[in-house]
Amino acid sequence: MAHEDRAFYDQLAERGVTRRGFLKFCGSVAAMLGLSETMAPTIAGAVEAAAGSKLYPAVWLNGGACTGCTESAAQSTYPDIAQIVLDILSLNYIETVMMATGEDADKALYQTAEANAGKFIMIYEGTVMTGLEGNTLRVAGKTGLQFIDEIAPKAAAVVAVGSCAVDGGWVKAAPNPAGGTGISMYLKEKGIATPVINLPTCPVNPEWIVAIVIDALLLGGIDENGKVTEGLVSKLDQFGRPSFIFGQTIHDNCPRRGHFENGEFVYQFGSPEEAKGYCLYPVGCKGPQTQTNCPIVRWNNQTSWCVESGAPCIGCGNFNWVDNGAPFLGRMRKIGIGSVGAQGGGWEPGVLGAIAGGAVVGALAVHGVGMKAAGRIGEGPATEPMKEYDAKRAKKGGGN
Amino acid sequence: MAHKLYREAHPMPFVLTHWINLLAMFFLTLSGFYIHFPIFPGFMGVARGTHFFWMFVLIINLTLRIVLAFVVKSANMPDTREVDLDIKNWLPQAANRHQMIPWIKYYLFLKKDHPISAKYGVLQKIAYLATIPMTFAAAYTGFCLWGPTSDWGFFLAGTTWVADLFNAGGGASLMPMRILHYWIMWVILIFTAAHVYLANIYNFAPSKMIFAWKESGDH
Ligand code: HEM
Ligand code: HEM
Ligand code: HEM
Ligand code: SF4
Ligand code: SF4
Repeated sequence: MAHEDRAFYDQLAERGVTRRGFLKFCGSVAAMLGLSETMAPTIAGAVEAAAGSKLYPAVWLNGGACTGCTESAAQSTYPDIAQIVLDILSLNYIETVMMATGEDADKALYQTAEANAGKFIMIYEGTVMTGLEGNTLRVAGKTGLQFIDEIAPKAAAVVAVGSCAVDGGWVKAAPNPAGGTGISMYLKEKGIATPVINLPTCPVNPEWIVAIVIDALLLGGIDENGKVTEGLVSKLDQFGRPSFIFGQTIHDNCPRRGHFENGEFVYQFGSPEEAKGYCLYPVGCKGPQTQTNCPIVRWNNQTSWCVESGAPCIGCGNFNWVDNGAPFLGRMRKIGIGSVGAQGGGWEPGVLGAIAGGAVVGALAVHGVGMKAAGRIGEGPATEPMKEYDAKRAKKGGGN
Repeated sequence: MAHKLYREAHPMPFVLTHWINLLAMFFLTLSGFYIHFPIFPGFMGVARGTHFFWMFVLIINLTLRIVLAFVVKSANMPDTREVDLDIKNWLPQAANRHQMIPWIKYYLFLKKDHPISAKYGVLQKIAYLATIPMTFAAAYTGFCLWGPTSDWGFFLAGTTWVADLFNAGGGASLMPMRILHYWIMWVILIFTAAHVYLANIYNFAPSKMIFAWKESGDH
C-alpha cells in the first residue's frame, strides 16, 4: 500500500496539511453530509484513492459573475485539502484560470461536452443574463444564454455555485435591468431537464462544493452511467439545495443565540454591548430568516464567519437576498410599490403599519365628533320604522 | 335605539371566549411588538415564551368558539330573550337583507334613522365573521415562522408563495412571511380599534354585557 499512500500524504504535507488534519477534515465532511463520524475513514479512503486521478470531467461556466465564487473556491493563497478534492474534477474549461485562450478555450469546452455527453458536471457561476435577449452578457461573439443552451442539456448535473447562479443574486436586485435570473429557473423555462444542485451564498463556501463533490462522485450520488441517483435527489429540498447544508437557520446554530434569548443586544456599533459580543438582531442580523450552516462550517478554512467576526448576517444565502436583506443594518426589508422604492427608498413595514393604524384611529375620532354633533351618543337615534328597500317597494305598490 | 340587553345576547360561554380572546390578543400584540424590535434589553426569552404560549390559547379558543356556535343558543335579535342556534345569528338573517347600503349611509351620516338590524348589523356581521380568517391568517403565518413547524409542507408552501409575491419570482426566504405576520398584527389592531369604538360609542351597556355579563335597560 505504502507507495501511493506516501505520495498522497506527501502531497498533503506539501500543502501544509498533516494526516491528522486531513482525517479531521474528513470527519467534518461526514458530519456535514449527515453521516456518522465513523464514515470519516471511508471518505478519507475514497479521497485518497481518487486524489490526482482527474476522475470526473467538468466544465465551469461563468455567467454575469464577479468571479468571487471562483476566487472563493480556488482559495489561491492557501491551496489546501479542498483543493485536493476539487482536483478530482478534471476541469477542462474554466475561463478565469485556464491556460488556453480564445478558440482553443472554446474547443476545450465543446469537446468536453461532446466527448462526455451525459457524464460531465457543469458548474455554473454567476447570473443568467436574459436582458436584451441575452445580449447583456456576450462571450466569444455569443450570448451567455447560447452557451447554456448548448452545454447544459449534455451535462449529468449542473452545480449552481453562489447566489447569482442560484436565483440571480445581487444582479437580480430590483429593478434588474439585466434580466438576471438563476440557472435552475432558466433551465426550467427552456424545458431542459438536467438536474441542478443549488449552493447559494455570496460567494459560495468552498466547503459545500467539496461536500457535494465527495457525495456525488465518491459516495455514489452519481452512478457509473452519469445519472444522478435518487439518493442524491432525496437530499435536496424543493429549491434544489442540499438540505444538510441549508436545512436550519443561522439563528438556530449561532453562538450568540444565548444573548438573543437573554435579551442582550447590540443597539449600536462601537458600544460596550458590541465589545461583549451580544446578539446583533437590532442592528439588522438576518440570521433568523436565513438557512445555511455558516455557524457550523464557517469560512476561510473554518476560521470564522460573519457574526463571529462581529457583523450581522446579511442573509446572502437567501433567495433574492439583496432585496430581502437590505437595509443590511435594519431589522426588516423595506417595502416599495412594484419596483419603486426597492433600492434605498421604500418604507419600513412598521411605518406603513403605523400610518394605516393612525389613519383609522384618526377617522374614528372624527367620526366620534360627528356622532356627538349628530346627537347620536347615549340613547342613539330612533330606529327606522321600515327598511328603506321595503319602503321603496311599498311606494311602487309592489309586495316584498 | 336604546336596546335592552339581556344575558341571552351573549351567553356565558361567549363571555368567556371573548375574554380569553382579548387576553390572548393583548399578550400576543405586546410580545409581538417586542419580538419585532426589542426596544429595551432583557426580555426576549420572556416575549417569545409568552408569544408561544398565547398563540396556542388563541387558536384553541377560536376553534372552541366556532364549535360552540353550533351548540349554544343565543338571542336572535336585540331586545329579546328569544334564542336561536348561535350560528344562525352570525350568518345573515332575514332582517339583514337589503340593509348594507342603509348601514353605510348611516355610518357616513347620510341617513338619520338607525337602520333596522338583526342580531348584528350587516357591517358588524361582516367584521365579526372576518375575525375568523383574520385570526387564522395570524396563526398560519405564525406557524410558518415557528421553528418546529416552519418546514412542514403545508406551511412551506405558504412561505414560498408569499416570497414569490414579494419578490416577483423568488423562492426560499422567511423575510416576506415575517413582514406579513407583522402586518396582520396591524390589521387586527385596526379591527380592534373600529370594534371597540363601535361597540362603545352609544354607551357602555354592550361592554358591561360582554365583559361582566350584566343586563341593562328596563326589564
Ligand atoms: C421572586 C421570586 C423568584 C425569583 C426571582 C426566582 C428566580 C429563579 C431563577 C432566575 C432561576 C434560574 C432559572 C434558570 O436560569 O433556569 C430559578 C430556578 C428555580 N426556582 Fe426560582 N425564583 C423565585 C421564586 C421561587 C420559588 C418561590 C420557588 C419554589 C417554591 C422557586 C423554585 C425554583 C426552582 C425549583 C428552580 C430550579 C432550580 C434548579 O434546579 O436549578 N423559585 N428561580
Ligand atoms: C396562533 C397564532 C400565532 C402564531 C403561531 C405566532 C407565531 C409567531 C412566531 C413563531 C413569531 C416569530 C418569533 C421568533 O421566531 O422569535 C412571531 C412573531 C410575531 N408575532 Fe406572532 N404568532 C401568532 C399570533 C400573533 C398575533 C395575533 C399577533 C398580533 C396581534 C402577532 C404578532 C407578532 C409580531 C408583531 C411578531 C414579530 C414579527 C417580526 O417583526 O419579526 N402574532 N409570531
Ligand atoms: C378592549 C377591547 C374590546 C372591547 C371593549 C370589546 C367589546 C365588545 C363588545 C361590547 C361586544 C358585544 C357587541 C354587541 O353585543 O353588539 C363584543 C363582541 C365581539 N368582539 Fe369584542 N371587544 C374587544 C376586543 C376584541 C378583540 C381584540 C376581538 C378580536 C380580534 C374581538 C372580537 C369580538 C367578536 C368576534 C365579538 C362577537 C362576540 C361573540 O358572539 O362571540 N373583540 N366585543
Ligand atoms: S447574532 Fe443573529 S443569528 Fe446570532 S442570535 Fe443574534 S439574531 Fe440570531
Ligand atoms: S452568515 Fe449570512 S451573510 Fe454571512 S455568509 Fe452566511 S448567509 Fe451570508
